[in-house]
Amino acid sequence: MNAWSWIGSRLSRLGVCQDREQDFHREMASHLELEAEEQEESGLSKQEAYYAAQRAFGNTALVKEDVRAIWRLVWLERILGDLRYGARVLRKNPGFTLIAVLTLALGIGANTAIFSAIDSLMLQPLPFYASDELVRIYSTKDGVPITGFANPGGPSGPDICDFAQNSHSFQKIVAYDTWRKNVSFGGSTAEPEQMRIGLVPAAYFDMLGIRPIMGRLFTEEESQEGKNYVAAISARLWRNRFARDKEILGRKIHINDEPYTIVAVLPDLIPDWLEAARPGLIDVWTPLSFPNVWSETSRGSRGFATLARMKPGVSLAQAQADLSTIAAGLAAAHPVDQGVGVVVKSLSETRAGTLRPMLFLLMGAVSLILLIACVNLANLLLARNAARQREFAMRAALGAGRGGLIGQLLAETLLLSLFGGAVGLLMAQIGLASLARMHAEYLPQLVYVRIDGRVLMFTLLASLATSLLFGLAPAFMGTRLDLVDALKQGGRSCASGGASQRFRNILVVTEMGMSLLLLVGATLLVQSIIRLEGQSLGIQQDHLLKGHIYLTKVRYPNPGAITRFSDDFAERVRSLPGVAEATVTTIYPPNNGWTQMLGLPGRPATRMQDIPTAQFGVTDFHFLRTMGIPLIRGRDFTESDTVSSPPVALISEEFRRRYFPTDDPIGQKIHVGPPQFLQIQPGENVTDASDVTVVGVIGDFKNAGLSLPPEPQITVLYCQHPLVNYGFKNIVVRTTSDPHSLESAIRGQLHAMDSDLPLAEVQTIDELVERQTGGQRFTTVLLALFALAGLALAIVGIYGVISFLVTQRKQELAVRLALGASRFNVLWLVLKQGLVMATIGAGLGLFGAWAMQKLTSGLLFGISPVDPATFAGGAFFLLGVAALACAVPGARVMQIDPAAALRED
Amino acid sequence: MLILRTLLFGPAHGHQIAKHIQRTTEGVLQVEHGSLYPALHRMEHKGWILSKWELAKDRNREFKYYRLTPPGRKQLVREESRWKQLAAAVATVMRPAPEDHS
Repeated sequence: MNAWSWIGSRLSRLGVCQDREQDFHREMASHLELEAEEQEESGLSKQEAYYAAQRAFGNTALVKEDVRAIWRLVWLERILGDLRYGARVLRKNPGFTLIAVLTLALGIGANTAIFSAIDSLMLQPLPFYASDELVRIYSTKDGVPITGFANPGGPSGPDICDFAQNSHSFQKIVAYDTWRKNVSFGGSTAEPEQMRIGLVPAAYFDMLGIRPIMGRLFTEEESQEGKNYVAAISARLWRNRFARDKEILGRKIHINDEPYTIVAVLPDLIPDWLEAARPGLIDVWTPLSFPNVWSETSRGSRGFATLARMKPGVSLAQAQADLSTIAAGLAAAHPVDQGVGVVVKSLSETRAGTLRPMLFLLMGAVSLILLIACVNLANLLLARNAARQREFAMRAALGAGRGGLIGQLLAETLLLSLFGGAVGLLMAQIGLASLARMHAEYLPQLVYVRIDGRVLMFTLLASLATSLLFGLAPAFMGTRLDLVDALKQGGRSCASGGASQRFRNILVVTEMGMSLLLLVGATLLVQSIIRLEGQSLGIQQDHLLKGHIYLTKVRYPNPGAITRFSDDFAERVRSLPGVAEATVTTIYPPNNGWTQMLGLPGRPATRMQDIPTAQFGVTDFHFLRTMGIPLIRGRDFTESDTVSSPPVALISEEFRRRYFPTDDPIGQKIHVGPPQFLQIQPGENVTDASDVTVVGVIGDFKNAGLSLPPEPQITVLYCQHPLVNYGFKNIVVRTTSDPHSLESAIRGQLHAMDSDLPLAEVQTIDELVERQTGGQRFTTVLLALFALAGLALAIVGIYGVISFLVTQRKQELAVRLALGASRFNVLWLVLKQGLVMATIGAGLGLFGAWAMQKLTSGLLFGISPVDPATFAGGAFFLLGVAALACAVPGARVMQIDPAAALRED
Repeated sequence: MLILRTLLFGPAHGHQIAKHIQRTTEGVLQVEHGSLYPALHRMEHKGWILSKWELAKDRNREFKYYRLTPPGRKQLVREESRWKQLAAAVATVMRPAPEDHS
């Protein structure tokens, strides 16, 4: 406060203010003297003449003020004065100040934290040149994004070629991909690692405006197969692995056992969300050089990540319209494209990924909290202003205008808000830091969240808006006073303004409504996450460990070698102590991500949308036993199903329900692969022409993600399908003890067979599920915390109002008691008032939750957004808690001694 | 306007101005003397008048005398013409011109 008075004194010393003050004083005095002399001459006594002069002159203090107002920066001075006075008032009421600052800090802090997340993940411009021109292109099937494993919704090579050739909106469109590959940095570094490698065309870096720190970008030529053995590495890798070796260019690294020459070191500018569907930064890029990627036969193999730069001045809508026309043409021209559409999204919009709707939800929640905090404070201030009525009246009597009083009150609230904002900022900083530490692996995006100038600005604005929001109404209410009444009333304040009381009641009702809205929302989310995590995957989920291997083409050039290695590896692992079963497979719940078109007996398909599809995967014959999937009909794979025996398949219940609703599926022959009319050659990603015979029906298991019901699944043996027997395999192990304790033993078996093979992505199925729901669980926990905070604030609010009422009505209640009302009658009188408010509030809250169902339904799993049990439960809970909050002051009513109360004041 | 008009006759101090206005308007415009000062100071702030402490001619005492500046004169002319317009307008409404009767 010394600072304020210092500034104040400086300002008043500014210029000639002081002189002018004296000058005017003298002028006024001479006027009064002159007037008095004149009056004296007309026959009045000296004393009377003096008073007459004063009367003729008017209110000297007011005139002084007015004159001063003309010469000085009075408004500034007044604000400073108000602030100084406000600070004094707040300091004198530490209890009130503490509560108010904490309430505000909670509201503003939560808002700051969530805003900083939204700011970093959505609002801030991307770190690329003209980043608003950058977009991504997604393919849709029948209006929904095509699901896939690597890049959900990614178009195919021919799609991208057609888009690039026929559109007028784009400067350039590139396709890229990320693949897991075994990388060895040569030299003494021991084991090779499995890393995600960016497969990108030369134009990719150009488009992002990335220039190498040293070396050169890829050339067009290097995108041809055979000339693609060049690699660019990140500065991160260069620092950590190569100790900033200046001679790095020209050195070789081994990727999938093939040598690549390092041609460039790139700055660490590419964020992970841009390149990988899963967390993890990319450190090595090689040219995108798949054979046949651009040829017509791959039109249906979608799943590339895309990046495109629009021409300057082209809007997103124009680009979308442009591509939609082309996509409609393609859908008409190519059977495989029927029903396929296209969506253009601005790159910055894809940044937050799945977190986006959650962030909006959280922003809504914290806004509600801030509102509740404001309402609470408004209530608190109303009560305080009522108690300060006499002070205001006194000041008004001394000449303070209503504007002055309001200004004074607003200065107090402004101070409170600024304090609250500062504490809130601190809380947000601490909160964000601890969250980022706790959940780095679930929410990699949190790493980018920073509190910067924009966030500070937001906090400041929020504080200012808050102070107006909660300060204005009480200030207006509090200063609307009838001077004489207020002064006369003295301490006996039986009925303070009905209007102000009504306003308080409305505030409490609003508060109740908002907190119930939060409560219902949080309860719904908590239930949905419990259902999401608690549902059965269709397997015996516990004690399952999985790891990923990739058998490179160089060492395992043919399907026979892959089969041999896989079978041997599984056999070795099965022989380990503590291992109950083990299987080599491409399938594990809850996501499969490999969809196949099928040909079913008696169902010739002539149109794209009629072609049956199913989730597909290859395994060995230990699959069912290891996973614990029940066999429902027929037989499991056996040892007798070999390379040379007729190919067999297992189908899931859902498959049977959908494609063999009436017939017995056992013994039916299924063609795995696209039908003839699509003219897709067998080869990459397409199974053999040979049909498989269904030998068994197995239980459904989650194969389309946690939140979707199981899709039809068909499972075959890799040894019988050489064309789809790729080097990508997983080992899934059922253990009898802690799964992770076996990790090193399994790795040991792998290295005994091939010391250069990395075992990657080792985790239990439980962990996998946990990780998939991590983001959602995290936001749910946050939302639940917010809801609790909101509820606490609301309860404090209703408690405050009721106890204030009780204090005010003490005499009235005492009279009632004295006249013979029973204590319970009186208690009920008090309770009723609280319950009526709570009930109306609950009604409003439920209505709000009902109105929001469209927004929330997308975030829920297995529960209706208007779940009646949740609604009713939430409302009753709120009423119960509110009743308790009212009962505390109510209990005081029970103890009123009528005689003593009436004798008071 | 009234203050400026008063100062047209020469410099005067606050009390004189108040008395003059009271006299010339025959007590119709009886204002609290105090309210004169904010007006005086505002005009000084705007540069229409100047103030100086001077000895009164008739007695041995200093008073703060106000006098008109050139901009103040201009302002007076402006305000007078505006006032005349207004007065004329009011007059026409209150006492309509004879041709309206014919």
